[in-house]
Amino acid sequence: MSESLDALELRIAELRARVRRAVREGDGGAARTLRGELRRAEKAWDATVTAEESASAAPAPEPPLLPIREQVHRALALLGVPASARLIVAVNDAFFSRALRGSQLTSLRRDEERSFRASPYARPYYLCAALTDRLSPARGLLADSTWASERRVLGPLSPRVDFLVSAVRIAEHLARLAEPPPGALRLLTRMAQNIPGAAEGLAPADPVTAIRAAWAELEVHRAADAEQRAEVAARAGRQLSDVEGLFGAATMSTLRGAC
Amino acid sequence: MNRLDALRGPVSARPHDARAIAALAANPGCARRALLDAAGVDKDRTARHLGVPAPFGRSQFAITRGNAFEALVKENGCAGLLRLLRELFGLAVEEVGYQDVESVGAHLRHSHTRALIDRAAREGEGTAVFYDHPLLSLEIAGHTSYLEPDVVAFQLGGRFHIVEIKSFAVIDGQAAPDKVAAAARQAAVYVLALRTLLTDLGHDPRLASHEAVLVCPENFTNRPVATSLDVRRQLAVLRRQLARMTEVDRLLAEVPDGLTFDLAPDGDGVPTRPARELAEALSRVPARYAPDCLSTCDMCMFCRSEARECGSTDLLGRQVRDRLGGVSGMAEALGMAEGVLTPAEGQEEIALLLRTAERLRQECLR
Repeated sequence: MSESLDALELRIAELRARVRRAVREGDGGAARTLRGELRRAEKAWDATVTAEESASAAPAPEPPLLPIREQVHRALALLGVPASARLIVAVNDAFFSRALRGSQLTSLRRDEERSFRASPYARPYYLCAALTDRLSPARGLLADSTWASERRVLGPLSPRVDFLVSAVRIAEHLARLAEPPPGALRLLTRMAQNIPGAAEGLAPADPVTAIRAAWAELEVHRAADAEQRAEVAARAGRQLSDVEGLFGAATMSTLRGAC
Repeated sequence: MNRLDALRGPVSARPHDARAIAALAANPGCARRALLDAAGVDKDRTARHLGVPAPFGRSQFAITRGNAFEALVKENGCAGLLRLLRELFGLAVEEVGYQDVESVGAHLRHSHTRALIDRAAREGEGTAVFYDHPLLSLEIAGHTSYLEPDVVAFQLGGRFHIVEIKSFAVIDGQAAPDKVAAAARQAAVYVLALRTLLTDLGHDPRLASHEAVLVCPENFTNRPVATSLDVRRQLAVLRRQLARMTEVDRLLAEVPDGLTFDLAPDGDGVPTRPARELAEALSRVPARYAPDCLSTCDMCMFCRSEARECGSTDLLGRQVRDRLGGVSGMAEALGMAEGVLTPAEGQEEIALLLRTAERLRQECLR
């Protein structure tokens, strides 16, 4: 391959010299033809050089056939708790295709809400909002409409509980895989560093240790969190319509935007 | 306050953000700055109109980097921050509550912050530890400024702490001192705002701790590290400066009648006042220039060239200026160093020092 590149480079240099000579001698026609040849040679050089590059690089990952909402759903199913777009993308990167980007998720919730309003319960699941203790949609979190409402609402302790649960779920999934993908291990390590006793320094986390450590902390919060969540969920069930139950009650600012 | 309106001209007063308020504390002795800020003059536009815009601005790269680092620290319900606080303050394992103030919608944030802080101050234990995206307010010279602690106020042992996330690196336990100082001043503004809020609500203002937490990337990694930052000094300076602004009458009394910094903007807001006239008006109010101004004040270039023209020792920085106390200007200092001028009474010591410095310099140059 590189021999043909060398030959092409020689030819390009020679053609350039000839173009220069033709221009100096005022031979416009010859210069034009030579320039055409030069361009062809340069194109050939480009093609050869990129061919070598792509041959040495790993084959590009195949674009996933699943639509974006299916990909998000798959990541959420793995995590089992409401998650931010950032985490969903990270999980998708680690375990599934690497084709999901954060920017694709921005309008997802709005689209789902529109679809639900047009024909309620027409789809088997909707990607909906997690509700705060004021029953408004929590910023940036996505949830699955088929989950029990206790799982979709948040108390003050819930962000931490959900973080620990998602770390456990990721670790469990990793432990099931015969060949854990390195990206997934990195993700777990990053999360485990923020759980006491789950990882040592910057070394890769061990899934079993991470699960044990996360459970140890979960035990501390779980009862209180479940109580707070049950209270919010009961309130949501009493006060909200079907649409609001999934996508949150409008806050004053969104109401203002509507009128 | 009518005098202040006259100083500003017929435009609305410029609200202050935390950076601007923090910059106040950077140079408490500057009457020009105190007056311009009290009147709410748009210093940036004034400097631009004078043809000496400030050399700093906010780089898009720095903003993106800062936001990315902040998102990293705050992701997953402040999981990263929680680890740091557990290490630094020994926060108990149960203390993990997290409230996103912004979930109520943007315009209710301030009242919601008030409500949450009030509840936390009354009930103490069992409330959230983190308050993300709070919105505080501070009254500056009759105008309310809204402040967003770019971070969180967290509660530890019944006291609130301000957390300041900055994206400059702490390398081997050391960070750039000027950046730390700027962060401390900014944190002091938030502490002050929080204390004002607590006083307002009828709680003890000391519930807001004077120890802020500074979170920065560690060494050359993106891993956050936290340090505790005592902002008592900055708080004191800030209070004094704000008090000066409320006692601005005293400053105003020294201002000649009819003085105004009005840019006389036309219909499109383009200033029409001759720059020379404006510069003259500004020079009627004394400034205290220091090289630090270059990174905090919009008027820095104007004050610097002024200090240069009159050969002021301010140009050399505070330490040198303080050592040269009693020496009126650069010319006098140089004269004494070269031995051309005979030192007046009380100047013998500094003259000796200057002559030694000059001799050393000559030896180095030889």
